[in-house]
Amino acid sequence: MLITICIGSSCHLKGSRNVIQGLERKIKEEQLSSKIELNGSFCTGECEKGVCVKIDDELFSVSPETVDTFFTEEVLGRLN
Amino acid sequence: MKRTFVTDINEIKYEVYMEVARMAFEGKLNESREQIPYNIIPGNTPQYRCCVYKEREIIRQRVRLAEGHTPLPGGNIKNIVQVLPAACEGCPINRFSVTNNCQMCLAKKCMSACNFGAITFEGGRAHIDPKKCKECGRCVEACPYNAIADLMRPCKRACPVDAISMDEEMIVQIDDTKCISCGQCVVGCPFGAISDRSFMVDVIRLINSGVKVYAMVAPAIEGQFGADVSVGMIREAVKALGFEDMFEVSLGADFVSKNEALELEERVKAGEKMTTSCCPAFVNIIKKHFPELADKMSTTVSPMQATARLIKAMYPEALCVFIGPCIAKKSEVIDSITMGAADYALTYEELYAMMEAKSVDPLDYTGELQQGSKFGKNYSVSGGVTAAVLETFKERNEDVSVKVYKADGAADCKKALMLLKAGRLTEDFIEGMACAGGCVSGPAMLNRERTFMKDRNAQINQADDRQILSNVDTYEEYNIRMHRN
Repeated sequence: MLITICIGSSCHLKGSRNVIQGLERKIKEEQLSSKIELNGSFCTGECEKGVCVKIDDELFSVSPETVDTFFTEEVLGRLN
Repeated sequence: MKRTFVTDINEIKYEVYMEVARMAFEGKLNESREQIPYNIIPGNTPQYRCCVYKEREIIRQRVRLAEGHTPLPGGNIKNIVQVLPAACEGCPINRFSVTNNCQMCLAKKCMSACNFGAITFEGGRAHIDPKKCKECGRCVEACPYNAIADLMRPCKRACPVDAISMDEEMIVQIDDTKCISCGQCVVGCPFGAISDRSFMVDVIRLINSGVKVYAMVAPAIEGQFGADVSVGMIREAVKALGFEDMFEVSLGADFVSKNEALELEERVKAGEKMTTSCCPAFVNIIKKHFPELADKMSTTVSPMQATARLIKAMYPEALCVFIGPCIAKKSEVIDSITMGAADYALTYEELYAMMEAKSVDPLDYTGELQQGSKFGKNYSVSGGVTAAVLETFKERNEDVSVKVYKADGAADCKKALMLLKAGRLTEDFIEGMACAGGCVSGPAMLNRERTFMKDRNAQINQADDRQILSNVDTYEEYNIRMHRN
């Protein structure tokens, strides 16, 4: 699974670095590093939805506070 | 500071960057971006294309690129290197063509050289049937009058990894699964129809919002802004743009030399082979075209990442921006978000535009700066990485015998990797540099004058002769992690 996190300035200011760290932490906890790849992306112009996170081509709006819920519901949900 | 542009394409690219940077610094980009095409292409007389409307549309697409977007909404968001559809002339697709040089000779060597029956004679003159031609080029070699022209599209010819094809409208397409972001097509297209996405506006917005942004200049920097502009002067100019400070990536290169040499020594003693990992386009060749060789690549981070980790160890709040002659570094940044290292990558072209946008001229500043050794500074020249790695053996009085393949340019890199894959590489170590000559020939270099290397070397000769290992030891307290993961 490819998870893409926008690293544009707007998403950066909304905490994209913390979202990345949160996802890394969850991936480590769940021992899923061989199944999930994290990648950055340029701004896709959907700044109001930031932090913009894509699972494959589907866009989600994630914040540092919601990263754990996002991981459980969307990421784990799709892997199982 | 006056820049001489290599071609009009570089000048147009600069003008767009400059306008976008100016508006971004003033915080007026959202309201004013639609004005840019009219600022750059005023009046009604076209200069380069059929009409000013087309010229302005090309500018509009370039503005989108300068803001990090795809040239058209909904484009392929995976590529750094993007096609500007409005600028692509759809060059002739039939590769070989008989010119007026055809002497209508009796020997007809072209016809007998063709294994596919594609050449016939009409009215005594050779004709190539594009449906039968397999583009082998034998007719070109056979003709004693050089009458057959090879018209391969320049973008396709420039691409070392065959990532370029045409759509049904003859507009060029780049296959993101093959593209290594080397930027050769950007330089190769005579119409400026291919260019790179930019993080410039992101960086300006973060500077404006008060984030502590640190610049890291690639080792190709010496001589980039002319013979009279030293790295210390550039540092002050960069600070005047709003950056907190500037570091030399040649310093990170010293860390890499130390670590990569230890790794190489271990591998050579175990009878294994290793490649470098500092050139991002070379790394992309391995990842996308030789994935089975991934474990042969050094696990040491690139000098950019080492420098960023050092800066973040010193200033935990720092945002680190690489600035270099390289387009592929942008892909390295995107692919390495989990490294805790470089946050963005810009080019010298973008830096220059930012300076002009803020009327900052390095010539107005004074200052001295040397952080990297001369060996670190020469990472940007083909053979430089090898020289530095071997130097650390000398500094440690270790006698390690290493046979090196200096792969100079993407085609040579592919050749070396093919030999390695086939188990026929006699050397122990591949130094891979995707730009022939090294980073100093990178696609986003500002200064391509004949005197550039002379200016560069004159500046580097003024640097002190510090050793690589003792230079790295100065930063021992920061305990920088050099492994990729």
